[in-house]
Amino acid sequence: MTIGIPRALIYWKQPHFWETFFEELNFKVLLSPPTNKEIVEKGVKVSDPETCFSEKVFFGHILWLDGKCDYIFAPRLKTNKEKLEYCPKFFGIPDLAKIIVKSPILTETFDEKREKFKKTLGRLGKKLNKNQREIGEAAKIALLKEKELEEREKEGFLKEMEKKEKKIALVSHPYNLYDDYVNLGVKEKLEKLGAQPIFIEEVPIEKIQNPEPGTQNLGYPKFHWEFGKEIMEKIDRILDYSIAGAIEISSFQCGCDAVLKEFVEKKFKENKIPFLYLLIDEQTGEAGIQTRLEAFMDTLK
Amino acid sequence: MKKPIITFARWGNYTIAFKTLFDQLGLEVIPPEKTNQKTIAEGAKIAPEMYCFPLKVTLGNYLPAIRKGANTVFMVQNIGGSCRQRYYGIVQEKVLKEAGYDINFLDFRATPKDIYSTIKKISGASTWQILRAARFFFKKLNLIEKIEKIAQFYRSREIEKGTTDKVLAESFSEIEKADKEEDFSRIKKEVLKRFSKIQIDKNKKLLKVALVGEIYTVCDPTINFDVESKLGKEGIEVHREMDITYHLKKLIFPWKDWTIQRKINPYLRSTVGGHGRDAIYEMLNYVKKDFDGVIHLLPFGCMPEVTVRPILEKIHLESGIPFLSLSLDEQVAEAGINTRLEAFVDVVRNYHRHKHLTSNI
Repeated sequence: MTIGIPRALIYWKQPHFWETFFEELNFKVLLSPPTNKEIVEKGVKVSDPETCFSEKVFFGHILWLDGKCDYIFAPRLKTNKEKLEYCPKFFGIPDLAKIIVKSPILTETFDEKREKFKKTLGRLGKKLNKNQREIGEAAKIALLKEKELEEREKEGFLKEMEKKEKKIALVSHPYNLYDDYVNLGVKEKLEKLGAQPIFIEEVPIEKIQNPEPGTQNLGYPKFHWEFGKEIMEKIDRILDYSIAGAIEISSFQCGCDAVLKEFVEKKFKENKIPFLYLLIDEQTGEAGIQTRLEAFMDTLK
Repeated sequence: MKKPIITFARWGNYTIAFKTLFDQLGLEVIPPEKTNQKTIAEGAKIAPEMYCFPLKVTLGNYLPAIRKGANTVFMVQNIGGSCRQRYYGIVQEKVLKEAGYDINFLDFRATPKDIYSTIKKISGASTWQILRAARFFFKKLNLIEKIEKIAQFYRSREIEKGTTDKVLAESFSEIEKADKEEDFSRIKKEVLKRFSKIQIDKNKKLLKVALVGEIYTVCDPTINFDVESKLGKEGIEVHREMDITYHLKKLIFPWKDWTIQRKINPYLRSTVGGHGRDAIYEMLNYVKKDFDGVIHLLPFGCMPEVTVRPILEKIHLESGIPFLSLSLDEQVAEAGINTRLEAFVDVVRNYHRHKHLTSNI
């Protein structure tokens, strides 16, 4: 049996985890290819015109998988370990996916306010006729792999910080940062311009909870969104290093970024770091981005 | 501290009731300016570009009031659950301060306890006074909602076009003037009497159209270009379930949400924030009740409503009921909306005729 995983949106929240998990359970995994023009066009055609660009790309990937596998995996992510919510658009993804594809959708609700992650995994495995022991093993290996990746990222971050080039923080969601087609290769473009891009996603944060939250003024509200808290904390962390500039990439019509941008911008401006806000959608041209990046690099000198 | 002079977020005809609430607490109030193209443009100018429409509208409403001397803004948060409404207060405070207005922002959670403590702190009124003010507020609110419903009935049946809207406007100004609770039952009677005097055609066969969608746009006639009245004058009876009472009831009694979830399970198995689920539930209900059309109103890019729209479209395809989705923002012009409504009314009429033709055979 083949399980299809769309290489978009939620996939980038936990890359390799789901792949490894299903492979360890002896399923064949079909990962959709990196985003390309055809996928984006397909996605844009079927999805609501006002939904965010990232979701349109996601539906494109799902359409690519349609008919090529037995199940398409689209989990419903609601709350994470810290009981913080994901984007409300994630809540409806499996239901919307059901409307546009013919292949059955494999889904499970991950809501850690109600249930531990492992338990939900158990229920997911049950749907696939696997017993608890097998699921436990698979989850363990997948988690190990995820941790390994995290370690590698941390090492990579420290190495990047040691370099002499001008460091530019790229602030965005993982599905915009790692998808080179979606962000029009911002990383490569910056490197060519002689800068060292730092993904905010890779900034390590110590997992120490504040003893008394809310006592100090953070300069941003207490977000109920997991990425809101994570990104703001990571920005606080990266300000300890010397960075030359910061770029925020946002998909068009991303509702959450409309809130987040206000505070990200404020934070960098307070610290007198040049800030560039890039909006991406299916019509963004490569030349336009190139010009803006070049202009931005000039302001740094 | 300076003496607080209050202004608050405008919300359609309910604004009158909110004003009373603060008046009764002995606070000085400058009501927010009525929404028009100018206030919308002003609000949109200083608001974050990507933010949803109601934030820009309410911001535009505050500004004239602030210039008239208001120094304290009331804003309730998390009305909408998981959506952006939660950050309205914080973001509005930020942009107002950046635009150079020195204001005090009261941002509170929509729980009875939080509302009570905020009001208590700002007004210094006694518990008894607060309870009395709240009672008067609910009385007014109920009457406003009631006459809105009555107007929906009369508007589509009236013989002389425009009478209902005139009576409605008069009634609102009378309700606004009422400042003593003792007089209110008399005013209520008078208002209701006025409506009963409107001459109507009782046997008129009517088309029925429902409004579903985001609560703010559905309830506020100034930002949805008075869809209700426009359809009513075409001889269409308009229904809507959304109003403040509906929302408050849901906030206090959660079981309504459970029923909604159970009914919409084949379409959506989770909340999507805001009133996303309600739109699906209502639309299914209206299909069952044999309505002739559904209009979906939402602010451009509203996260919950945009998520459920493909599902509403699916229901529309399955049942055949005419469906029109109108996204509203500062760039939408009235002429565009009118054209779309006219075309929609034609579709609704055709659908109705066709339905009755086939059922007679």
